[in-house]
Amino acid sequence: MATNVKSSGKTVRRIQTVAIANRGEVAVRVIHACRELGIRTVLLHSEADIGTRAYRMSDARVCIGPAPTAESYLHIERNINGALAAGADAIHPGFGFLSENAAFAKAVIDAGMLFIGPKPESILAVGDKIEAKKTVASARALSVPGYMGDDQRIETLVEEATRIGFPVIVKAAAGGGGRGMKVIHSRAEAPELIASAQREGLAAFGSATVFLEKYLDRAKHIEFQIFGDSFGEVSYLFERECSVQRRHQKIIEEALSPSLTPELRRAMGETAVRLAKSANYEGAGTVEFLLQDGEFYFLEMNTRLQVEHPVTEMVLGVDLVKAQILNAAREFQVWPQESLKAHGHSIECRVYAENPYAGGIPSTGKLLGMEWPEGPGRRFETGFEAGDEITPFYDPMIAKVIVWDETRLRAIKKMKQTLRDSLVLGVHTNIPFVISMLSHPEFVDGSMTTQFVGRHFTQENGIGLAARERSELELLFEKQALGGGVAGTGSAQPGVAPTSALQIVNSPWWNQTGSWRNV
Amino acid sequence: MKKVVIEHGGQRLVGAVGKVGTTTWFSFGGEVWTREEQGRTARGNKGSGALDPTKVQAPMPGKIVKVMVSSGQAVNAGEVVIVMEAMKMEYTLKSAADGKVKAIGCQPGDQVTLGSVLVELDVESEVKQ
Repeated sequence: MATNVKSSGKTVRRIQTVAIANRGEVAVRVIHACRELGIRTVLLHSEADIGTRAYRMSDARVCIGPAPTAESYLHIERNINGALAAGADAIHPGFGFLSENAAFAKAVIDAGMLFIGPKPESILAVGDKIEAKKTVASARALSVPGYMGDDQRIETLVEEATRIGFPVIVKAAAGGGGRGMKVIHSRAEAPELIASAQREGLAAFGSATVFLEKYLDRAKHIEFQIFGDSFGEVSYLFERECSVQRRHQKIIEEALSPSLTPELRRAMGETAVRLAKSANYEGAGTVEFLLQDGEFYFLEMNTRLQVEHPVTEMVLGVDLVKAQILNAAREFQVWPQESLKAHGHSIECRVYAENPYAGGIPSTGKLLGMEWPEGPGRRFETGFEAGDEITPFYDPMIAKVIVWDETRLRAIKKMKQTLRDSLVLGVHTNIPFVISMLSHPEFVDGSMTTQFVGRHFTQENGIGLAARERSELELLFEKQALGGGVAGTGSAQPGVAPTSALQIVNSPWWNQTGSWRNV
Repeated sequence: MKKVVIEHGGQRLVGAVGKVGTTTWFSFGGEVWTREEQGRTARGNKGSGALDPTKVQAPMPGKIVKVMVSSGQAVNAGEVVIVMEAMKMEYTLKSAADGKVKAIGCQPGDQVTLGSVLVELDVESEVKQ
């Protein structure tokens, strides 16, 4: 990583204490980066997050309010005051919450601290989805047809949706992560879905403003990681494909995309850089595109670190969080474009605390146990440890499992085995669904689109263990556990499973060769 | 949590088992499932709410956003009766059967716990059969 200071007279700004205005696995990620850089961390947390993993790992902690996000993680003043009280000289906003809030970035600067992220003006120019569409026009990028007017009356929005032509997607202007987004298939269902998106936008981001877009029905989600330094240079760190989404929440992400030609990659990357430069962008950012029939359309720019940043780090051998911190301190020069070469393939799966056998509803409770199978090319990012509580207040993601291998097919196999060897007890997880998705021929051959999950995984049939297999395993497990069990070691005599209970290991779902079990 | 090692075809496979109250949790091969003390295997919370068509219950803790029906109103199977929010997402709860709304047990803004009865229905299908 190039960390030399240019001899161009820019002064280095010393960072000694970073306040983290976030929680969970991203707070842990930032703590790791800070510790490695010799920087002290202060966690700004809500009452509900006392005792969590990030809480235990941070050097100091300030409680900024109760569990509801509006009174803690989304409260600008409380975050600023907490950081100042703890003597922080910089704030890392993580992702979600206030990370893309220009008013927050400005408040941090006005309070005399560094904001580890882009300048407030850049956030406004490309972060606000409505402003971004205007910026994008000046960067000569193509957008999806839509409506982003100030008239936010339901009647107007329904008329505009009809004009664009169904299906249409409605999105919260300040949104992200699938919240406040709905696909509308007909005029009849438009009013209720638009109102719902407005409510979700207001509840999650404090703004009910929505916009409408033509919904592309066989598009791939391709996003470009960009990074700008304080000297005005911007490079693109290639792409991630995140087509595997459910309710517009990403589930599986990978780098690089199996779908881009070198020419298309370059055209998209250069468009992303043009966009960033037109906004004088500094720090890490992501330009999202939809790709359909060889045409790419600008979707949005996220002016922050992305949840799925690890897959980019794995294939490029970079550390984006350290780069962000060093860049805020003006101790960083961006990697020259021609020096960036991707190596191997990386996949990330998001493990959500939800019940795949009950329509994916969130599952809350105490984590009785959680063990991730360490190994070469495997990386686990989580804000939880055994004994922690999964509460209904925040995002249901409990961990990100990331693998790297030499080829895409090997990475898929590694991911499946890693997920099968993972132990989570006390909440339900989407792991069985994820394993099935990784085994589907459309995923394996790389042709999946954003319709992939909705088309193939609306039913739970055919996924996971059969009832009889489960009950036989239950008997065996209880017998073993009662007879002394194997508490964390392999020293006890292993039990022998009844053959029928282990049909599973012979099934395609479990099997390495992974031919798809039809549902 | 207790880990359990089982052998199959020379392979060593690891699972886990643990208990909270009347619920026993199992984990194996990336799958998690529960069994209630009564001895019936339930795929999570699926059993409790879906079995009784006269009740619409909260499938998770959360906040009521909207009540789409009023007392005495006729509803069709699959009709949305409640909109609720949990973990920052909205979920719609639908009636499992045709019927008439007998009672409403919540109002917008209420924080509800898992299994709370939100709407009670008089279900006609039994009579019609």
